[in-house]
Amino acid sequence: MTDGLKRRDFLKVLGASGAGAGVLGCSTENVERLMPYVVPPEDITPGVATWYTTVCGECEAGCGMWVRTREGRVVKVEGNPEHPVSQGALCSRGHSSLQALYNPDRFTGPMLREGGQLQPISWDDAEQMVAERLSSAGGYYLFTGFAGSSLAGLMSDFAGATDGQVVRYDPLAEAPLREASRIAFGRDVVPWYDLEEARFLVSFGADFLESWLSPVRDGRGFSRMSGVDEEGGKGGFTFVGSRLSLTGQNADDWVPIQPGTEALVALAMANVVSGGGTSAGPYRSIVATYTPENVADATGVEAESIRELAERFADGPSLALGPGVAGLHRGATAANVAVAVLNSVAGNVGRTVHYDAPQLDAPSAGFAPMQQAITAMGAGDVGAVLVHGSNPSYALPASSGFREAFGSVPFKVSFASSMDETAAEADLILPDRHFLESWGDMASRPGQWTVRQPAMRPVPHFDSKQTGDVLLSVATRMGLGLGSETFYDHLRGRWADFAATAGATDADAFWHESLRAGLAQVGTTPSGATETLRQPDRGLVFDPPAFDGPGDLHLMVYPSARYGDGALNANRPWLQELPDPVSKITWHSWVEMHPNRAEALGLRDGDVVVLSTEHGSVEAPVWTYPGIREDVIALPMGGGHTNAGRFADGNGVNALDLLPSEVEPLSGGLVHFVTKVDVTSTGRRRPLASISGSDSQSNRPIAPAVALAGLGAEAEGAEEEHGPLRELQGVGGFVPVETEGRPEDFPLEGSRYGEYGDEEEPRWAMTIDLDKCTGCSACVTACQAENNVPWVGEGQVTMGRDMGWIRLERYYEAVDASHAGPLDVRFLPMICQHCGNAPCEPVCPVFATYHTPDGINTQVYNRCVGTRYCLNNCPYKVRVYNWYTFTDEEPVREGLGHVPEPLNWQLNPDVTVRENGIMEKCSFCIHRIRAHQDRAAVEGSTITDGQIIPACQQSCPAEAIVFGNIRDPGSRVAQSAGGERAYRVLDELVNTQPAVTYLKKVTFHEVESEEH
Amino acid sequence: MTKRWIGASVVTLTFLASPALAQAQDSDAAVAVTDGEAALVQPIAFPHTIHAGVDQIDCQYCHFSAERSVDAGIPPVGTCMGCHQIIGGTDERQQAEIQKLRDYSANQESIPWIRIYKVADHVHFPHLRHVAAEVDCATCHGPVEEMMVIEEVNQPLAMGWCVSCHMERGVSRDCAVCHY
Amino acid sequence: MSTATGVPRGALTHPDIQTLDEVNRAVLRPLGRPGRGWWALLALAIAGMGVGGFAWGIQIVDGIGVTGLTSPVGWGVYITTFVFWVGIAHSGTLISAILFLFRAPWRQSIYRAAEAMTVFAVMTAGLFPLIHVGRVWHAYWLIPYPNSRFLWPNFRSPLVWDVFAVTTYFTVSAVFFYLGTIPDLAAARDAATGLRKKLYKVISLGWRGTDREWHHFGKAYIFLAALATPLVLSVHSVVSWDFAVSIVPGWHATIFAPYFVAGAIFSGVAMVITLTVPLRKVFGLEAYLTTKHYDAMAKLCLLTSMIVFYAYLSEFFMAWYSGEEVERAAFWERLFGQYWWATWIMLVCNGMVPVMLWFKRVRYSIPALFAISIFVNIGMWFERYVIIVTSLHHEYEPWAWGVYRPSTVEMGILLGSFAWFGFWFLLFTRLIPPVAIAELKEVLPTPMRPAAPVGAGGQGSDQ
Repeated sequence: MTDGLKRRDFLKVLGASGAGAGVLGCSTENVERLMPYVVPPEDITPGVATWYTTVCGECEAGCGMWVRTREGRVVKVEGNPEHPVSQGALCSRGHSSLQALYNPDRFTGPMLREGGQLQPISWDDAEQMVAERLSSAGGYYLFTGFAGSSLAGLMSDFAGATDGQVVRYDPLAEAPLREASRIAFGRDVVPWYDLEEARFLVSFGADFLESWLSPVRDGRGFSRMSGVDEEGGKGGFTFVGSRLSLTGQNADDWVPIQPGTEALVALAMANVVSGGGTSAGPYRSIVATYTPENVADATGVEAESIRELAERFADGPSLALGPGVAGLHRGATAANVAVAVLNSVAGNVGRTVHYDAPQLDAPSAGFAPMQQAITAMGAGDVGAVLVHGSNPSYALPASSGFREAFGSVPFKVSFASSMDETAAEADLILPDRHFLESWGDMASRPGQWTVRQPAMRPVPHFDSKQTGDVLLSVATRMGLGLGSETFYDHLRGRWADFAATAGATDADAFWHESLRAGLAQVGTTPSGATETLRQPDRGLVFDPPAFDGPGDLHLMVYPSARYGDGALNANRPWLQELPDPVSKITWHSWVEMHPNRAEALGLRDGDVVVLSTEHGSVEAPVWTYPGIREDVIALPMGGGHTNAGRFADGNGVNALDLLPSEVEPLSGGLVHFVTKVDVTSTGRRRPLASISGSDSQSNRPIAPAVALAGLGAEAEGAEEEHGPLRELQGVGGFVPVETEGRPEDFPLEGSRYGEYGDEEEPRWAMTIDLDKCTGCSACVTACQAENNVPWVGEGQVTMGRDMGWIRLERYYEAVDASHAGPLDVRFLPMICQHCGNAPCEPVCPVFATYHTPDGINTQVYNRCVGTRYCLNNCPYKVRVYNWYTFTDEEPVREGLGHVPEPLNWQLNPDVTVRENGIMEKCSFCIHRIRAHQDRAAVEGSTITDGQIIPACQQSCPAEAIVFGNIRDPGSRVAQSAGGERAYRVLDELVNTQPAVTYLKKVTFHEVESEEH
Repeated sequence: MTKRWIGASVVTLTFLASPALAQAQDSDAAVAVTDGEAALVQPIAFPHTIHAGVDQIDCQYCHFSAERSVDAGIPPVGTCMGCHQIIGGTDERQQAEIQKLRDYSANQESIPWIRIYKVADHVHFPHLRHVAAEVDCATCHGPVEEMMVIEEVNQPLAMGWCVSCHMERGVSRDCAVCHY
Repeated sequence: MSTATGVPRGALTHPDIQTLDEVNRAVLRPLGRPGRGWWALLALAIAGMGVGGFAWGIQIVDGIGVTGLTSPVGWGVYITTFVFWVGIAHSGTLISAILFLFRAPWRQSIYRAAEAMTVFAVMTAGLFPLIHVGRVWHAYWLIPYPNSRFLWPNFRSPLVWDVFAVTTYFTVSAVFFYLGTIPDLAAARDAATGLRKKLYKVISLGWRGTDREWHHFGKAYIFLAALATPLVLSVHSVVSWDFAVSIVPGWHATIFAPYFVAGAIFSGVAMVITLTVPLRKVFGLEAYLTTKHYDAMAKLCLLTSMIVFYAYLSEFFMAWYSGEEVERAAFWERLFGQYWWATWIMLVCNGMVPVMLWFKRVRYSIPALFAISIFVNIGMWFERYVIIVTSLHHEYEPWAWGVYRPSTVEMGILLGSFAWFGFWFLLFTRLIPPVAIAELKEVLPTPMRPAAPVGAGGQGSDQ
């Protein structure tokens, strides 16, 4: 398609990985060079992928990864199926880590600031300089984010030996949760939740599907808990909070409480569960006072609803999840304690929540120590600061005064691998390696250790060095020995100890086995021991916290489902253009507001407003959202970067600018939900870069649901399925082709376009379980990474030209913030339906789209002329068009999608890169199918069910997607497509005979019509 | 903007000559290296005549991944040295060339061979399938053993050429076998 | 051959023409030195073409994205304009061929202009498929020809039918047009001098006006007329199938073929009026293009207008009567949704304004007709815009609903297309007699005798 782009880079890498970066120049000549390896690296065959295990470095959850490399370059990351955290799945952020690895804005080497400008400097001089300055500094700070246990250990050793002080700061810290665990059970840990074991969940605002603790693992657990099973059993989930996050949208019921009253609801529930507090141990008196009746007014929830909720919670196994970051108000710790008490009285401790198996790497470092550091820096008694793995200049409220204090420090070193707001202030930059290039390890929970190994040689464009190595070499220069020469040795040293603990005789064998499996089991797993409640501290106040400022609009600053806090991962087109799972908006920030409130203020979608508190003000467009209380305004984190790279800068606003830098007294965590806000319209408008057309199905059979009660009954109702058709025939009207053709009987008479195979050929098909799908959008990014799907840029998205092959649709059925009640949001991953009777096929004048013998509706890119007739005629509108060439190194026009060197190293060599004027769409990952068929043909083997897995299914945390040959009655896809919940979108309306079968969402409440 | 002016006018002009353009487009030969190919000389005058011809070395000894990968593979310098550690060539011309190889190996550099065979980027040619189907290498690459300098023979790797062979052998002509 | 009253047709249609040679003088006058006005118009046309060409250049260099098109609206101004011009191209052949076969007494003076319009309109329309596709450098793949890839176009696709329909229509109408001009070119040759004479010598194929030549001419002409007639119906039927065979709500209707043909004739006749009124004024051809002709065209307009309006109504009715959710929604959206204004422009211009043609005074007032014809042209362009855009932007999948706003590039190309058409038409007025001299003479009373005794003038017309 684009001349030689794919192959060219592929060759570059052959050269790069074989003989170093020296040969890169060749590709720029008009003649292609073949670059053989000098010494053939074993286990690499040109054209065949090599996989490595490692652990994701995007967040503290520590998902085990499989890294796919081709000719020595990383092209895709996937979840490691054998890893207890990821269990084979991965989130969008994990997938997007590739764009950090190949990010064109990475530092090309160590830099020293001279006369305000960053000048290249050699590693030797740089390390020498650090050594000297640290020795003369007389005390310095080392700011870190999460670093992985070995590196963290090394850092504290280093700091200890050089009289520095390590300050870890997590913007999304779970400090209150940790403190609450200490208060309630005397365990200073972040507990380990086991959603899968519960039958009923209550989340007090914890966004466990997007940003809280371990989204991939919890997503898996949640879908297993809430997805309807063979016996028709289904776990329930009630969301208690002022705003529906993505997690909230997945709940069955919504209790929209007064801001900050989680504690009251939790205690009132505990009151009911524990029979007036009798079984609440030391909390007896407290629980006794909070009866549902007493809290009804304060929380705005009728006592009756609380009772019902509590009773349902009582006949567990149930699980209550603490307020989480979105509930970080002045009473956060108390709220967490209340939830802990609730879990305790309901007997969930040791069953669904474990305090003896903490989440080791969970972000729990509060703001307090950082605040002291700021004071010290401001006072000028800090000689130097080292910053690693964090971006405090961005991730702290401006009101904290960090920027000023930091600026006053004489010597500032940043280990950032690419520019960020903190590095922009630094005097010396020692670019760290990306986690896919470096060694390390993580422990998600006690006993479960995951190695991080480099999956490729460092990207030759960037002269980077692992911070561990830098610290060690600096230490040596300062005349200190930290025990090992390189960080690798340090790591091996620690793992030798693990080997010993694990009782392995041969440390090397243990190490290599751990590398292969990507996981080592060291020591014990949780015992399931219960905990007893401790005497409550006197400091605990459960009553609703105060909110600063006038008016009645509470400002909720919540972590983005895409970025989390967005401090370090915003400079990635994939994340920027991934539609937010809730708002479906890309690139820019937005202000969430209830439609009624907006109406009262005379605002509508896209009106730009100024939000102002006494601490600052920001400007963003309004997005009206029925899933938020009328007295709450919500603003996502992650926007408003000023110096984080070409893709992030200038998009949206930094919500933290509105917050005070106040710590929650008990836990020392930064409070997010603490102030009221003033909204004033600017009178300007700004079209939202949203992919949402209509939120309503307008009575069309797009995403129907079925009530749990009605499940068995529907079998008889099947005849009604085609009521209108029958009616039409009844009155002797025109009789259309029957629409009962099953995906497996294919091709149907009268739908024969293209060259069809006989019955021996498979028919590839897919089922998507809408009862499991949580709308997390991991599949969207996975698909983008797998299929070289371009990003197009904000302007194009605003025009409606987004190119995602998977369009995650979101329809509101019942969303009502006025009172507690049933909640119904329908998610529908819309992909090419690979229709047996495809409307797009007959209209293409050049056969660019047609059916393969194995039933895939395929698109021949190089044949496409670009008439766009197929797009018009596709009732699902799943075909996306290359309006420009989005894959050049330079953007065709300002702000358009492009692939600057070395981002193009990520392109999948198995998939054609498309150019301007070509239609494309979901291909069922046909290149994966072909690869297996090739192998099978050569080995004379046959392809077994579940062997071929498309990228979306592979990365789906919810296990909602099943792919396979539907002609094989034994296949999983055939099984699930036969179920009573199975339906095909619009099938009856347009008789397209799709190969994609959806399984209806199951609701607890009655749905007015099962057709929609 | 000027770029756009020029581009625009150029394109509008070329449009008058579009039929000719069409013909040019029509011969969709693979985007092989044609420009200045004649001028270019392989970094080492590698004689397939000797290796494949005289010595009868099996193709896949050097092109090692042909039977298990889509790519046939270019021999690593190490593979060459496997023999040429010992074999130094008979006449000084050979010796000179082999010396080049030894230098590359010594400097740990890879040899920048000029690519002769290349199908378009939107075509997927899995070598393994064709090897498994016992298609003789010469079918596409010609009598390599007689070539002093390797060159594209008897076909421009155009689609019609591929398809006709597929038709003769009665194997799939489905577009999505090669294009995806 | 004379009318009921026995008055010679000429006396009815062209009462003001006295002698035959005055016809030559009058009709050939335009071929003389062009005035300033003509040059100005030509310059304008060329400038317009420049704009259009430049816009197209940008589109090819940067990509089809410079248009306002987007998902779900994959077709917009280009296809609208394509259909518009194909429609315009109709009345030419209709007037010349069909009316010729039916011996309509009033066609002679207008058919030349009408045919020229047809040819140029098809030439314009033919550009738009090229402009529309994303990879125009591969557009030739739509043409079936044996090639190295063993690949053929998909004959099931209406777009391929279009290729055939339009090219056929162009070939036939061009030949028909040229053939009809030969005798007049000869006349021009005799009148002209110098270089022009040489030119006319060549293109008039040495016509001498012998009986034999007239005989063959007549034969050939009537055959071609018979050949062209079915095309009038076929072309626009085929074009309408571009929409009718799709499953897009608002397109998928059996009424489309007749509906489009009627619309085409409607717009075509209107365009003839729009073009001939100034022509007549500038070149002082009032005696040849008389109010009677305009009256006749106005009646045709009125008829087709009513057919078209009926089609609109039946579409809305069927949408409601079918009870089909999506169809209903689409048409409701059409009337009161995002693009209500376009729809109402269409309804007013094509349905309401032409009602005035019921009044004889209006039909006989040239300025009024001119104004109305402009309205109709605008209305018919918007009809296609409405059909294409409103249907696409509000289809089956609510989540995928979207909006389309034409870009400046599209507008530039739209402008360019009118300029391109105008350019050719201007050349036509200077190079080819705008009125068919020979045929006109056929219907004039023979001057040897005093005009209009009862039963006279019969032979005059027959030869």
